[in-house]
Amino acid sequence: MTMSREKLKKLGLELPLFPTTSVGSFPKPDYLVKARADFNKGRINREQLSELERKATAFWIEKQEELGVDVLVDGEQYRGDMVAYFAEIIPGFSKGGLVRSYGNRYYHKPIITGAVSWPGPITVEWWKYAQGLTKKPVKGMLTGPYTVMDWSFNEHYSDRRTTSLALADVIRKEVEALIAAGCKIIQIDEPALSVRPEELPIAIEAMHRVTDGMNAYFITHACYGAFEHIYPGMLEVPVDNFDLEMSNSDLNMLNLFRSQPFTKDISFGVVDVHTHVLEDAEKVNERVRQALTILPKERIWVDPDCGLKTRTVEEALAKLRACVEAARAFRN
Amino acid sequence: MKLIIANTGSYPRAGDSPELQTLRKTIAAVDRGEMTSADLADAENEMTRRAIEEQARAGVELLTDGQIRWHDPISHLAGKLAGVKINGLLRFFDTNTYFRQPVLMGKPERKGPLVVEEYRFACNALGQIPTGREGTVRVAVKQVLTGPYTLAKLSLVEDPAMQPLEARAEAYAAALADEVKALGESGAEFIQVDEPAIIQVPNDWGVFTQALEPLIRARDAVRKAGRKLQLALYAYFHNPAPFYEKLAQLPVDALGLDFTYDATLVDVVAAAGSPRPLGLGLVDGRNTKLESPTEVARVVERLLPKIKGERAYLGPSSGLEYLPRDGAAAKLELLGKIRAAVNG
Ligand SMILES: [Zn+2]
Repeated sequence: MTMSREKLKKLGLELPLFPTTSVGSFPKPDYLVKARADFNKGRINREQLSELERKATAFWIEKQEELGVDVLVDGEQYRGDMVAYFAEIIPGFSKGGLVRSYGNRYYHKPIITGAVSWPGPITVEWWKYAQGLTKKPVKGMLTGPYTVMDWSFNEHYSDRRTTSLALADVIRKEVEALIAAGCKIIQIDEPALSVRPEELPIAIEAMHRVTDGMNAYFITHACYGAFEHIYPGMLEVPVDNFDLEMSNSDLNMLNLFRSQPFTKDISFGVVDVHTHVLEDAEKVNERVRQALTILPKERIWVDPDCGLKTRTVEEALAKLRACVEAARAFRN
Repeated sequence: MKLIIANTGSYPRAGDSPELQTLRKTIAAVDRGEMTSADLADAENEMTRRAIEEQARAGVELLTDGQIRWHDPISHLAGKLAGVKINGLLRFFDTNTYFRQPVLMGKPERKGPLVVEEYRFACNALGQIPTGREGTVRVAVKQVLTGPYTLAKLSLVEDPAMQPLEARAEAYAAALADEVKALGESGAEFIQVDEPAIIQVPNDWGVFTQALEPLIRARDAVRKAGRKLQLALYAYFHNPAPFYEKLAQLPVDALGLDFTYDATLVDVVAAAGSPRPLGLGLVDGRNTKLESPTEVARVVERLLPKIKGERAYLGPSSGLEYLPRDGAAAKLELLGKIRAAVNG
C-alpha cells in the first residue's frame, strides 16, 4: 500500500499525508493577457512577453508557497492550449485553422504534416526557473502522447497507434531532459484517455514508451471522461498517481473504485473548477471523507478537479486555499 | 442509381479571415453587453447564409443550414423543452468539443417549435442564391435533429420519474415526433435524425428502437397528408460494423454510416447489402487529410450495386464543424471530385 511513498522517499521527497497540489494551469493576470494579445499583434517583442511570463510565474510560485501547497506547478503562464503549446515547438506540426472547442471558444488545432522529432528541451528552462524560486518540489508538466495525437489532425502517419508512438518517443526525450535537470515529479496529462475506450491499449503502450525505466514519480491527469468504459483497465497506465476530476462528476467514480479496487495513488479533485462558486469547508471535507472510505490515507493527494485557468485569480486562490485547508484538517 | 452529394450536418461557423469572424465577435460583444440579441440574430443569419452558399457552390445537393445557431447538438434542442435545465460542460464523444448537459427537472416537453424557423430560414436563403443551373440540379435543405436516444443518454436526471432511460427516451421521442410533424407540415422533405450514442452502447438497442418509433409514425402521418417527407438515421463517431445488420433493418428511408473507424465496414456492407438507401460517410469529417478521389470512387463503385432504393448519399462521415473552415470547404469539393470519378 505504501510502495509509492517509498518511491517518493527514494527520490528524496518527504511529503506530508494528503499532499496538496494543483492540476497545472492557473489564470493569467490581466497584464499578461494583454501582453499576449499585444505580442500577437506585433506590438511587443518575445523578450518583453517573456519578462511578464516570468513575473506571473513568480507570482504563482509565491502564492502557492504562501498558501502552503506541498507540490507546486509553474502555472503554465507561458502556454495557451495544452496541445498547441507543444505542437508549436515540436517539428512535424503545422498550425491549423480555427476550430471551435465549445460555445464561443476557438483554437488553432495543430496538424501533423511530417515526422515528429524532439527539438531539444521544451519545458526544462521554465521548470528550472520555477524550481529556482522555491524549495518545495515543482512538477514537470507535459501533455501525453495519446492526447496530443487525438487533439491534432494527422496528415502524415498511417494510423492513430503509429502517431501516438512517434509522439511518445518525443515526449520521452523531454522526460529525460527534465530528470537530468533535477525534476522528480512529472505529470503527463492524458485528458483524452477515455474518449475511445477500445484505444486504451494504445494510450497504455505509448505511456510505457514515455515512462519505462525513468526515475521519477509520474502522475497523469484525466478529466471529463466516461471512465466507466475504461475502468479498471486504465490502472494499467504506467504511472504512480492518477489525478482525477472527482467533484464535477459528483464522486461517481467512487462507485467504480468500490467494484474494483483503485491500486494507485490518487490526486483527488475536491473542488469543481467549472464554477466560480466556492465550496464551503464542510463540502470539501466531505469529499475527502468519501475518498477515505475506499482509499488508504497514504495514497491520497488533494487538489482541484482540473486546471484553474478559466477562473479569476481570486477564485483560483480561494479554491486552492480550500484544498490546503481540507488537507490540514485531515492531517490532524 | 443516383449518387446525391449531401452534407452530413454542421459547418464551421468561423474562419480565420475577418469577415468569417462576424458571429464569433458578435457573441463576444453580446457577452460584454456591447451588442444586443438582435445583433446576434443578424450575425447568425449572415453566417448561416454563407454556410448555405458555400455548400451550394461546392455542388452539395442536399445541404444543411450548417447548424450555425447550435451551441451544441444536445442543448440546442433539449434547452428549448420545458422541464429541462442546462448544466455544465461535458466532452462530446471523442470530438474534443463540449456540450452543455441537460438536467431533467421534470418530463421534457415541447411547448413550441424547436427548429422550424431555422428550416424556413435555410429554405429562403437557398432560394435567394443564383445557382445558374436551375432546372438541371435540384438542391434541397435537409433538417438535422439529434435523436431521442442520444438526448436521453446524455441527460442528467433530477426528477425520479425520468430516472429510467426508457422514460427519458420516450419523453424526448414524443417531443421530437411533434417536431418532425411540424417540419413536415412546413414543407421539409428530408429530416436526418442523429443517434451517435447507440453505436457506443449497443445494449440499449431496445430503448433506441422504441424511441425511434414515434418519429417514424410522425413521418407516416405527414406522408398520409400528401407530403413527401423522408426520415434518415445517421450514426457516427464510432464503428457501426458490429451492428450493421440491425441498423439496416430500421424502418427509415436512409441509413447514414461513418466509414472512418473501421476499414472492414465496406466489406460488411458489400457482403450484406442494404435494403434501403445509404448515407456513405466515406470522407473523414474529422481530419484535414484529403482522401484520394479515385480511391474513394472505387469504394463507392463496390457499394452502389448492393444498395436498394435507387439512391445513395455521398457525404462526410460527420458534421464538418470539427475542421477549420477551409478544410471543410475542401472536403465538400472533394465529394464532387469523387462523384465525377465514379461516373467516369
Ligand atoms: Zn482536466
